[in-house]
Amino acid sequence: MSLWLIQTKSPCMSYIDNGFCTPSPQPRTWKGDHWEGYYNPWLVTCPRHFQQTTSSIGHFYYDPGADMLRAIILYNTTYWPSWDAQRLDFVAETGEWFNREAVLARQVFVGVWGTAWTGKATMGSYNKIYAPMKTSTEIKELNSLTMEAVAGGWSVNPYTWNPKSQYGFAVVNRVDNLLAGVGSWTMDCWSGIDATPVRFGQLRLPNVLDYLAYENRNYCWGITKDGVIVKADYKIPRWEMISTVQNPAADARGYAITFDTRRKRVVVFRWRQDAADGACQNQLEFYYPMVNPARLTQPVPVTSLRAGNRIILVSHLIGDAGEGLSPYTVEGEMAAPVEGQLITPFTNTERSGKAAFQYQAPPDGPVTETLKINTTVEESL
Amino acid sequence: MYEQIFESALSARGSEASPDWRYLFYLRSWDAFLALSALKYARVFRDGTAITFGDRSGSYEALGRVNGAFAYWSPWTRKVYSAFDINGLPNPNEVLNPAWDIEYAFAPNSGAGTFIDDIRKLYFHQPNSNRLDILDLDTGKKVDEIVHNAGERFAAIAWVQQGQVAGLCRASGKMRIMTYLGENRVIETGRISPFKVAAYDCEYHLFFTIGTDYKTRIFCREAWPAALSVPVFEPAQVYGFNANEVKTRLTGQDGEPCPGWWVHWALEGIGGGLPIGSLDKAVSETDKDGWAENYYYAPDSGQTGQTKIKTSVVLY
Repeated sequence: MSLWLIQTKSPCMSYIDNGFCTPSPQPRTWKGDHWEGYYNPWLVTCPRHFQQTTSSIGHFYYDPGADMLRAIILYNTTYWPSWDAQRLDFVAETGEWFNREAVLARQVFVGVWGTAWTGKATMGSYNKIYAPMKTSTEIKELNSLTMEAVAGGWSVNPYTWNPKSQYGFAVVNRVDNLLAGVGSWTMDCWSGIDATPVRFGQLRLPNVLDYLAYENRNYCWGITKDGVIVKADYKIPRWEMISTVQNPAADARGYAITFDTRRKRVVVFRWRQDAADGACQNQLEFYYPMVNPARLTQPVPVTSLRAGNRIILVSHLIGDAGEGLSPYTVEGEMAAPVEGQLITPFTNTERSGKAAFQYQAPPDGPVTETLKINTTVEESL
Repeated sequence: MYEQIFESALSARGSEASPDWRYLFYLRSWDAFLALSALKYARVFRDGTAITFGDRSGSYEALGRVNGAFAYWSPWTRKVYSAFDINGLPNPNEVLNPAWDIEYAFAPNSGAGTFIDDIRKLYFHQPNSNRLDILDLDTGKKVDEIVHNAGERFAAIAWVQQGQVAGLCRASGKMRIMTYLGENRVIETGRISPFKVAAYDCEYHLFFTIGTDYKTRIFCREAWPAALSVPVFEPAQVYGFNANEVKTRLTGQDGEPCPGWWVHWALEGIGGGLPIGSLDKAVSETDKDGWAENYYYAPDSGQTGQTKIKTSVVLY
């Protein structure tokens, strides 16, 4: 399995335009009776002319009740108190910025509790939102809009478990009493979280995790800081898939991932460097968990190249992370002049993406032959 | 020297400019190779396509494993763990050596590979550059050894087939195929070009290497001919009225036999004269030890003199 990029919404959000830039703006100072200048004056230093920039992705999650993708973004700002935290709502189907006007009017402020003091939130059992706390070692059920812990809501404290644990990311499966938690490199899988929790397994991640998302009672998704997307079965536990975002360009500053349980697809929020004028370039990427052929490797002989031999040539149809793709038909064609014979004019890829061709070399000679292969991938979405 | 059947045009580098490849393993479920540098994981295909997909962590060192798999040794726990098929990452949930903790002295490193057969409870370790020790995985006690006299430690020990492993020498390119079930000994020797990292492709029985120039090379397990010996009679005395057996041997650069090649035979006269006698066959195939045989019929006319037997092999 791999990931097929359905669409990209870029940019998916924007900053409050300051209207003008200043060659050397003054920092905010008290003039005896009033304030002058800017917090973070670099934000409006020419050519930049926006009052905000992203300082971190607080949360990114799918809210199934509202059928919205919600991102809580922390900003550096030129206005008081130099930072802001707004909740951005995106239409889950299209990625359209639903509350654009309200956010640009700074009306969806989420307090510091819900942002800086709550770890990365994601949906879990019963369509509720959960996150590990930063102010304590607990994992709590959150209000889906403010990211603050629900008073009297569900919570567990892995620090009281054996071994004592503390997480920055967690998926909560209250139906089966399972929990998967990640600090940085390792995903711990716990069972019996309602009574006596047991850490029954661990998975090592291919890099430091940037975000973790719940899919269902078996599966969760993670994205690492270099844009590698992994799917895990946290019930067994084992890895189910490895892929990557498309074009993991160097300008990405961070990633967040969530799973749209209604449309069964992965949504990635990519925090990108601002443009030269300070314009927001953050984007939403929608992936469907299916194959996305990225390349066909060169056919390579795997048997002795002797006259009269039946020679096997192997190629692979692979995705962005090198994962094999099947089933696709790969066609082979010999370039003229043909001395031998291509026994396999077309073949299908195996699970590893392998497509093997057979060529019958003529009984005498040395000969030089050219095999050209191609495959047709029809977008079926 | 084994026959080189492929050299890549691509450089197997992945996203690193000059990756310091340390380990290379063939994964059957990928039909491709996992390469580990000091920092990265990468998937390498035969044509030199290399895709890095993550950073290494946890100080795991890699080693070969039975049935064409590979495993990881952890310096923190002294345990060997299996690897996930899907992405080649260590699986800390499965311990292959529960009874015996493998200490540093027996641990794998990128200069001297080790091998684990957790089905038969064996562990292979190289105490020096000429010997492979086979240890009991439950007790850590040595049960046997294979003397291979390669003069260099194997950078990797890779699974070939049931009861066989291959040892791959980095600097000399020497290869040893060894059997370890029942009789423990070297059953095949050969050589490939020196490499940075190498693996044994147990699907097609190939040696796959990434060189210091980052090109991938593939060698099949058939020696490429280098020398054809002077034909010899057996017995040495040639008689008339007789089919005299004559043999020639085709060998590779290091004297290894080349089976399955057609040797062409011809008689030539000396000094412009006509050849004397006749040959049974114009071509014959070399056997598994590289020998091709023929019969020379001496003339029955009582004629004496000299004639020349000329043998040749067409290399394609």
